[in-house]
Amino acid sequence: MKITLGYLYSDLMNIYGDTGNIITLTKRAQWRGIEVEIRHISVGDKLKKGDVDIFFFGGGQDQAQELVAKDLGQSGKGKVIKEEAERGVPLLAICGGYQLLGDYYQPHEGPKLPGVGLFPAYTKASFDRMIGNIVIRIQSAEFRMQNEEIHNSKFLIPNSLVGFENHSGKTYLKDGAKPLGTVVKGHGNNGEDKSEGCIHKNAVGTYMHGSLLPKNPKLADWLLKKALEVKYGKEIKLEPLDDTLENQAHQAAVSRFS
Amino acid sequence: MNLKKTAAITLGKTIHKTTQVLKIGGGSAAPGYYALKLYPNLVAELGRQIPKTVVITGTNGKTTTSRMLAQFAGAQGIKVIRNETGSNLERGIASSLIHNSKFIIHNSVDLAIWELDEAAFNIVVPKINPDIIVFLNVFRDQLDRYGEVDTIVKKWGKTLSQVNPSVKIFLNGDDENLLELQKSFKGEVKTFGVTDYKIAGEKRAQLRKKNDLDLEATNIQPQGLDITKFKVKNQNFTLPLPGTYHIYDFLAAFAVASELGVSLGNIKSGLESFSPAFGRVEKLNLKDNKEGYIFLIKNPTGATQVIRTIQDQIKPEDRLLLALNDNLADGTDVSWIWDTNFEDLGFRNIDLRIICSGIRAEDLALRLKYAGFDPKTLETEKDLQVAFHASVKGLEGRLFILPTYTALLKLQSILAKSGIKQYYWKEEK
Repeated sequence: MKITLGYLYSDLMNIYGDTGNIITLTKRAQWRGIEVEIRHISVGDKLKKGDVDIFFFGGGQDQAQELVAKDLGQSGKGKVIKEEAERGVPLLAICGGYQLLGDYYQPHEGPKLPGVGLFPAYTKASFDRMIGNIVIRIQSAEFRMQNEEIHNSKFLIPNSLVGFENHSGKTYLKDGAKPLGTVVKGHGNNGEDKSEGCIHKNAVGTYMHGSLLPKNPKLADWLLKKALEVKYGKEIKLEPLDDTLENQAHQAAVSRFS
Repeated sequence: MNLKKTAAITLGKTIHKTTQVLKIGGGSAAPGYYALKLYPNLVAELGRQIPKTVVITGTNGKTTTSRMLAQFAGAQGIKVIRNETGSNLERGIASSLIHNSKFIIHNSVDLAIWELDEAAFNIVVPKINPDIIVFLNVFRDQLDRYGEVDTIVKKWGKTLSQVNPSVKIFLNGDDENLLELQKSFKGEVKTFGVTDYKIAGEKRAQLRKKNDLDLEATNIQPQGLDITKFKVKNQNFTLPLPGTYHIYDFLAAFAVASELGVSLGNIKSGLESFSPAFGRVEKLNLKDNKEGYIFLIKNPTGATQVIRTIQDQIKPEDRLLLALNDNLADGTDVSWIWDTNFEDLGFRNIDLRIICSGIRAEDLALRLKYAGFDPKTLETEKDLQVAFHASVKGLEGRLFILPTYTALLKLQSILAKSGIKQYYWKEEK
C-alpha cells in the first residue's frame, strides 16, 4: 500500500514545529510497511482530485497567511481541498491552516479574508494572545468510536489530546459544527466557549501545536486509517505499534499541565 | 544624585552580595530587577555616562560575540563593562551597572557592551543611545516570547527609524531579513558575512553578489571540535571554537573592534586568549581524564547547527546527554525540537548511549525515536543530576551535553558541586 501526503504550503506555513506531524504520519505508515510520498504543494502549484491521500496544513506568519489565502482562491486549490474533504479524504489543519479553511477571517482592520469554507467556522482577530499548553477531551462520538483503545484507564484523562497553542485569532463554530474536543486546560477556539478545534467528515482543524501527532498517536493512526480506506475503498485495520514512548510523553505533558 | 537612585543602587548591591554569599543562581538579574522597580530611569541615567556603548542583538551568538569583543577591546587596554552572564534584558544591564557603580560616574569604564534579546532591544536602545549596533541574525526562536520573525524585524525597524543616523550599524549581510533593516535606518550600514556557506533555517540573502559585503570570511577550514581556521582581509585567523556559525560572531566582534580603533595585532592576541562563554561549546575536564563538551541548545536553528558540528565527531564510545526544560527562559513551547534536524546525527547506526533528561525528557526521547533511533537505546531520566552521574559513570569516550538554558544553569551547579568546575559567576571575566 502507498499513500501520498500533501503538505500544503510547506514553504510558507511551517514555523510552529508542525513538521513533527508530517514526520509522525510518515514514520507510522513506514513502520507498517506502507509507502509514503510527500508532495509539497505551494503557491502556483496545481492540485486535482485524487492527487493526495492526506492533507496537512500548518501555521504561518501573518504575511505568509495573506499570500496563501489569496492563492487558495485564485488557483482553485481551495475548492479542490474542500471537495476532497467532502469525499472523506482526511486532513489535519493547525492554527493558520485551520483559520484559512473556515468561512472567513476578520482582521482588525480591512475587509474579511474569505476562507475555503470547509469547516463551518469563522475567525476574528483579537488583542488577546492565547498562549500555553492545552489539554482537551475528545468530543466527537464518531472519532471516539474509532479510538476505543484510548479509553484505556491508564490515561490520566481518557480521550485526551495534548499540545501547545499560540494564537490571537478567535474561532467560533457555527450551528451544527462539531468541535474536536472540550478544553480541560488552555484556551481553545476562542477562550470563551470551551470548544477546541473542529471536525468535519475526516478533516480536523485545531489550534494545537506541540507537535500534535507525536504525543497523540491515536489521532495520527486515525488519519492514516481513513486515508487508506478512502483510497482503497475497504475497511482497514492498522497493525498496532509499540507506543510506550508516545504514551509516556503524552502522560508527562498532561500531568504537567492539567 | 537623588535619594531614590542612591537607594536603588544600594538595594541592588545588597541583593548582589546576598545572592553571591548564598550561591543562589548567580544573582545576575535580581539586583537590576529590584533596583529598576525603585528607580525605572536607572539604565538610562547610568548607561549614558559611559563614553562608548555597543549593543548586540540577534537570535543566536550574542554572548559569544560580546565576550569576544570584550577580549579584543581588553587587549587594546580599553576598560569594558558588559552584562556577562547572559541576562540580556534591561534588568541584566541594570545589574551590571549597579555592580560597577561607585554611585557617581563610571569614569573607570571606557566601553559598554550590552547584549540584548530580541524584545529588550526595542525597550533599551532608546534609553541608552548606543554608538554602535550589531545585528547577528534573526531566526525563529521562542515564539511564545518574541513572536514571529516578521514581527521582530518590523519592531527593530521601528526602533532603528528613531535612532540618530550617526550611529554605526553592522549587520549579517547573509541574512535577508536583516538586510530589510537598511530601509528603516537613515545612516550608514555595514555588512559582514561568509563566502559559500548556508545556515539551515536562515533566510539566505538571495540577491547578494560577491564583494557586496564590507567584511567577509573566506577559506573556511573546520578542524575538529576545538578550532576553525579561515581568512579575513587576507589574514589567517584561528577561532578556538567549532562550527562555521561562530565565524559570524567573530566577524561582528572584528568589525566593531576595528571601528573602535583596536589594532589587528590586538584582535589576534585577544582571540588567542579567548575562551568560550559558559555553555557555548564549553570544554569540561571530567574524572579520569575524560572530556566533556557543553553545547547550549535553545532554538531549532542553533540546535541544528550544533548537531551539524558534532555529527562527524561522535565515536561509538562517546555518550550524549540531552536536557530539555520548558521553563520561561527556555520557552514553554517545546515544539521547536520537531524543527531541529536530529535526523542529521550521523551515528544512528552505532551503538551510542543516549540519555534524555530535563522536565520534558519524554518529548526528547520521542523526538529521537522519530528521528530514527532505536527506542531501546534511549534512556529517559528527568532528574538532571541523576542523568549526569549516570552519563559519566564508566564513560570511555567523551560526553556531549546538549542542555536548554535553564538545564544549563542546573548543570553548572551540578558540575560545581561535583568539583568539576567553579560556579560560573566566579569565573574570570
